[in-house]
Amino acid sequence: MSETFVELQGITKEYRGVPALRNVSWTLQRGEVHALLGENGAGKSTLSKIVAGVTGATAGTMLVEGKPTQFSSTADALEAGIAMVFQENNLVPTMTVAQNLYLGDEKPFNRLRKLYIAAQQFLQSMNFDVDPWATVSELGAAKKQMVEIARAVRKNARVIIFDEPTATLTPEEKGHFFSLVRRLKSRGVSIIFISHAIEEALDISDRITILRDGELIVSDAAASFDRDKIIRAMVGRALSEELYTKKREPRRAGARILSVQNLSLGQMVRNTSFSVYAGQITGIFGLIGSGRTETAKIVAGALKRNFFYGGEIAFEERRVRYRIPRPAVRDGIVYVTEDRKREGFFEHMSISENFYTNFMAAGLQKRNVVSIKEMTGLAEEWTKALHVRTLDASARVIELSGGNQQKVVIASALVKQPKLVIFDEPTRGVDVGAIADIHQLIRGLADSGLGVVVISSYLPEILNLSDRILVSRTGRIVEEFSPDDATEEKIMFAAVH
Amino acid sequence: MIKFYDWLRGSGVYAVTVPPMDGALKPNDLLETASIATVAAQPDNLTPDGSRVLFSTGNTLMSLERMGEKWSAQSIASFAAAITCIGAEGRGGIAIGIDDGTVLLKGGKHDGLRIDKVADRPLVCPTACAFAGENTLILCLGSLTNPASRWKADLMERNETGSVWSIDLASGAATRLADRLAFPYGLQIAGPGRIVVTESWKHRVVEIVGGKVKELLADLPGYPARLARSGDGYWLSAFAPRSQMVEFVLRERKFCLGMMANIDAEYWMAPALISGRNHLEPLQGGAIRHLGVLKPWSPTRSYGLLVELDAAFKPLRSLHSRAGGRHHGITSGIEFDGAILATSKGGDAVLALPRQS
Repeated sequence: MSETFVELQGITKEYRGVPALRNVSWTLQRGEVHALLGENGAGKSTLSKIVAGVTGATAGTMLVEGKPTQFSSTADALEAGIAMVFQENNLVPTMTVAQNLYLGDEKPFNRLRKLYIAAQQFLQSMNFDVDPWATVSELGAAKKQMVEIARAVRKNARVIIFDEPTATLTPEEKGHFFSLVRRLKSRGVSIIFISHAIEEALDISDRITILRDGELIVSDAAASFDRDKIIRAMVGRALSEELYTKKREPRRAGARILSVQNLSLGQMVRNTSFSVYAGQITGIFGLIGSGRTETAKIVAGALKRNFFYGGEIAFEERRVRYRIPRPAVRDGIVYVTEDRKREGFFEHMSISENFYTNFMAAGLQKRNVVSIKEMTGLAEEWTKALHVRTLDASARVIELSGGNQQKVVIASALVKQPKLVIFDEPTRGVDVGAIADIHQLIRGLADSGLGVVVISSYLPEILNLSDRILVSRTGRIVEEFSPDDATEEKIMFAAVH
Repeated sequence: MIKFYDWLRGSGVYAVTVPPMDGALKPNDLLETASIATVAAQPDNLTPDGSRVLFSTGNTLMSLERMGEKWSAQSIASFAAAITCIGAEGRGGIAIGIDDGTVLLKGGKHDGLRIDKVADRPLVCPTACAFAGENTLILCLGSLTNPASRWKADLMERNETGSVWSIDLASGAATRLADRLAFPYGLQIAGPGRIVVTESWKHRVVEIVGGKVKELLADLPGYPARLARSGDGYWLSAFAPRSQMVEFVLRERKFCLGMMANIDAEYWMAPALISGRNHLEPLQGGAIRHLGVLKPWSPTRSYGLLVELDAAFKPLRSLHSRAGGRHHGITSGIEFDGAILATSKGGDAVLALPRQS
């Protein structure tokens, strides 16, 4: 039996005449962990989507176990033993974790109790701390990702494609995930591992393929790569360590723009208090489930605090209680979501329509009718300002790569002319080139006097960006560090103990 | 209707929330590790007066002078009751507020003058005074009913009966500058005609403009005490921390009044200048002590806090003595001869630390 499980020969894929993949020839061996690396828009997701049957190739041939194959759907691919865990999850939010795990495999007479017990055993066998009774919509992004992974593993797939699987996981969960990958590998399962975390790719993969602008640049054994070589191949230049190693003076605090006092929301946010100052970047680090996102959403009016003794929020020294986001947006508070697919944009609308919808939500349009001229101007201004790579602003957001989608989400927030911007995992699933752009933008916002909050699980990012660092644990802010005395160890210790 | 809704939900004026000590107010141990300039029982009222610093300890007026690296304290005068405020004119004149409801002037043009009434009001609680020229004394009265020594009762009664007066020392005429203040404790003449006071029970610093107050710094995490100049800015001391428990007790009137009627003031669930010395005090046990160690982050009733403000009254940095510390109840802090001096009324010490610390 051949060692090659999947082979692509001269694959080309075009979207509306724009090539996303150009003449790519590539192989996947049995039982190997194969990392696909590249900047956003490099073609990694497109390549994996072709393998997983999400989309078809415009030209070229795909061989599965030596036979020419063209999948018409993901179900076809799954039948052939290929499953994909998407970066933006595809779970049914109104169903429970167990129901999602067994979706499509239901028997005519299901015993729910049996289903939940089986789901619990299965999740525990993977060391995933997820409640099978929980409704998926109630889960955070990391736990949704775990459910996605579990679903793919449960299908006994022979090839599993992980698109940014570790972006939302805590260090401990990442450890579990990597041991799971090793277990799958030992069972002969091939893993395609798409990631922006270069160290992870170097650690776990047997082979690495690097794509740039839709072309395969290099594909070789992982042992022949190092970090610099990978970055050079990815971006076509040496970006080196410039992203996360620059030391600089922290900005001085301006006026207190936000004061959160004893805020509470069920078990997620527990009596948390902190302040945010204008002209500074306030970084909030915390593990998944530490209540960071929920706190930010309460501030932005997307969630409601406890009805009784839920705490107080003062924005610009005025007590506020938002029941919906709109008044918060009009006051100048915007929240840039961590879950861009669900909450960040209207995926079937164009970039310009997305911008203009947000612009109107803030009540900034000149007239109460849609102005195409205003919309076009806005789109031009912001696609240029954020270097969104697209043919034109009329492209639908769903057609963009992850990094460019993230830029659209950020631009959609900034068109509202905010006074306080809360970024929740701003560079999750974004390539190194786009990370530099986004960091630059965040710094620019703080320099221009806005209050900026950056919530991130990535310590180098928090350390590099923040003028003050808050650490969240079990639903409250437990520690504050200045950049001078903060180290990864100290922050992690505060976040865990 | 809104008031009822707030009462029901525990929000708005009925919220039992407390602002965090973060940003410029981030906790440290600078006050706790500060050296002791002199030991004195319940020191207060640090006031620069030429080459010396005046302060009070009980009913005694003291002076503090620098002798190289050390500080030397000397008694100047004693009074019938505890000294509640000191104002120095800078040319020899000193105004001293006494807890028996009088203000005495020593030295200077109005030596020997005794003030015990302002505009027919008895002078119950002089809390701060400052000279605005040779003939004018600005005087803060913390309460209409409680003397300064009963400050805790004034807080628990939720009084807002404080006032600020301008007294013409030559004629004795008094002009009310502001009324209905919630215990004006600190006073600073920030410029010509610019009077700034701290309102302790409302946790804020305000400027008095045309009989009304303009908020300069609000929602402090402690009860502000005295205010002193610091180069271009100011030093603001806070004599006790706010806590959710105290805010809650203040909200629950029946409980609060019952507590005041039946329990010694020392053991009230109220802010204190020092705490943790007696097992009868509230908030013992696991809330503040673990394995015999007082947790520095616990919600204590006493704390040490001195805040440096800029010219616009924005906090720049702060010095702390945390829950596990001894230098609590910071009632006054000044900058003098390259050093920061602070009175720890709870810790019975005048603290000194270098300006740059």
